[in-house]
Amino acid sequence: MADSSDEISVDNAIGAATSTESPSARALSKVEPPQNESGLFSGESVLNILKLIFAGAPLAEVLTIIARLVEAQGKGMFCTIWLLDKEGRYVHCATAPSLPGFITHWERTPVGPDGACCGTAVYRREPVYATDILNDPLWEGYRHLVVPYGVRAVWARPLFSSEGKALGTFAILYRKVGSPSATDLQLIENASHIAGIAIERHTNETELRRSEAFLAEAQRLSSTGSFSWRVETGEITWSEELYRIFEFERNVPVTLELIGSRVHPEDIPMLNDMIDRARGSGSDFEYEHRLQMSDHSVKYVHMVGHGSRDRDGRLVYIGAAQDVTEHRLSEETLGKVRSELAHVARVTSLGALTASIAHEVNQPLSGIITNASTCLRMLTLDPPNVEGARETARRTIRDGNRASDVITRLRALFSKKDTIAERVDLNDATREVIALSLSELQRNRVILRCALADNLPIVIGDRVQLQQVILNLLRNSSDAMNTVLDRPREVLIRTERDAGDRALLSVKDAGIGFDQQSMDKIFQAFHTTKNDGMGIGLSVSRSIIEQHNGRLWATLNDGPGATFSFSIPSATNT
Amino acid sequence: MNSGQEKIAGEYPLVAVVDDDESVRESLPDLLREFGFATHSFSSAEEFLTSDSLVQTGCLILDVAMPGITGFDLQRELKLRGHSIPIIFISAHKDEVVRRRAFQQGAVEFLFKPFSDTALLQALNTALRVR
Repeated sequence: MADSSDEISVDNAIGAATSTESPSARALSKVEPPQNESGLFSGESVLNILKLIFAGAPLAEVLTIIARLVEAQGKGMFCTIWLLDKEGRYVHCATAPSLPGFITHWERTPVGPDGACCGTAVYRREPVYATDILNDPLWEGYRHLVVPYGVRAVWARPLFSSEGKALGTFAILYRKVGSPSATDLQLIENASHIAGIAIERHTNETELRRSEAFLAEAQRLSSTGSFSWRVETGEITWSEELYRIFEFERNVPVTLELIGSRVHPEDIPMLNDMIDRARGSGSDFEYEHRLQMSDHSVKYVHMVGHGSRDRDGRLVYIGAAQDVTEHRLSEETLGKVRSELAHVARVTSLGALTASIAHEVNQPLSGIITNASTCLRMLTLDPPNVEGARETARRTIRDGNRASDVITRLRALFSKKDTIAERVDLNDATREVIALSLSELQRNRVILRCALADNLPIVIGDRVQLQQVILNLLRNSSDAMNTVLDRPREVLIRTERDAGDRALLSVKDAGIGFDQQSMDKIFQAFHTTKNDGMGIGLSVSRSIIEQHNGRLWATLNDGPGATFSFSIPSATNT
Repeated sequence: MNSGQEKIAGEYPLVAVVDDDESVRESLPDLLREFGFATHSFSSAEEFLTSDSLVQTGCLILDVAMPGITGFDLQRELKLRGHSIPIIFISAHKDEVVRRRAFQQGAVEFLFKPFSDTALLQALNTALRVR
């Protein structure tokens, strides 16, 4: 403790704040210890107050201690500290340690020209001194509240935050008429400064706690957790909700290994790929992958991350991960139902179609055969029934024509639209197809890579049809990897300039490939290895490419899977 | 349950053709006559049911898919009325399920269009032998 009797310790002030001495006795017989002429608090006092502030002591308590310290230094002064309410319209007295019952009269003092010094000081954003309240018009209507305490002058000074935002007022109520001396002003200045710090910190803390509570609540409601990842050091921070999603104990240190232990084994290649990319490029990412919990249940997590450089240029990712399991499951159910419906519709309509084709054609055919049989029999009679034979022959011809008409009508039904011829950039067309298929590919855990040549020649053709071909190849490659579990489901789409000034596009997968013998069969109409395939894709694709004077072919890879490629002459070539 | 359908000895058996398709009604009777049968044609099951020749019909060549009363409906109706006329179904729809069902309900034969004359003759012989 300080040895100088001039210095007032915080402990004494605290003690005074909690003492049970009669309030009136205290008010009337003020202890007047020796004055500190400089008006400064001791360094130790300030330090102790600051400690209290940052230890989170209640604001009223801290302000009371400051007020008492001021009163201890200033003879005949009552110190009060006022706080501005949230809307900034009123101030209320937060502490008046030597004025019993004072606070209750001052719960709402308007911030305005009629705010009795304290409100007015905030309003004017400058000190307001009423040196003689009995005669000062500012105290009209208020003076009866302070005069009984023996107050004759009030000196008020507004308090501001470090950003200049009004926080409240520091007001000295003096027992004599007069204005503050230089020492008094110094004292007020210092006390205000510390009071301002206390108030600002308290407000910030409250605000912060409120936002944190909102954020935590929002995260819980939306099943979204947030994370930060310092790439170089590997340091990862998780919000509470993310711990909950991953089902780890709170505050367990998070590492990539820990995360990996929860990621679904089939999605680990995707995760690793994402980590490599993030480390390399520092660009934003968005992924969806599965988690496998300790009870083997599966969760779907949708993750986004934003990369940026900190002050030292180091890569930091901030992101959020949302548990979209329910959403995904209901989408899958919806998807299944949709594809079943489509399948049924297809089968029904195809069934109906073939049935009606068969019916249409079989009727005249049947007539032809019956009539011809009859004709033969009639001609083998002795004598031959020529008239009858003639009639059956006539009917046969008529029925033959009937069958021919049926075929013609059917062909008209399935005729293609006119083909459009325009300039097509296969790279752009491919990018569009990829954009459309991205979510579907991600759902199938396909890792898509692209190598699109800069010098790819422009081709002439029907952009929509060519995109249909690309989409067909992409879908096939994804389907070919449906059962692949032990290696990454990688698809590589590549464009390049082919010999003879042609554009070459290839789609390479790591799927189950096909057997060399069935090479030709796969391009045939109605050949399919898929349960719900119609076998239209590759045969139509080939005919589209052939219409473009190109060719479509397939090769088996050196490793697993196959590559489907097509090559079309460039615009200058056609 | 017999309604006493007599076998007309010595006469050519009467074969009825019930089919909504005109070319069948045109071509089939001529072939049947070449085989040596007497024949009547009807464009619908209703027409056949209300005809006089129903009782005399020795064998019925019946189309499956007809508007109104279908082939199967007619088969059931004849059974209900106590007629045991042997039925040869003919159909332009190649459907094995339907074929099986026809046999389960007592059909003698089920031919898919287009059928050969020999197949038809075989079916007719089977039908008339059964009686």
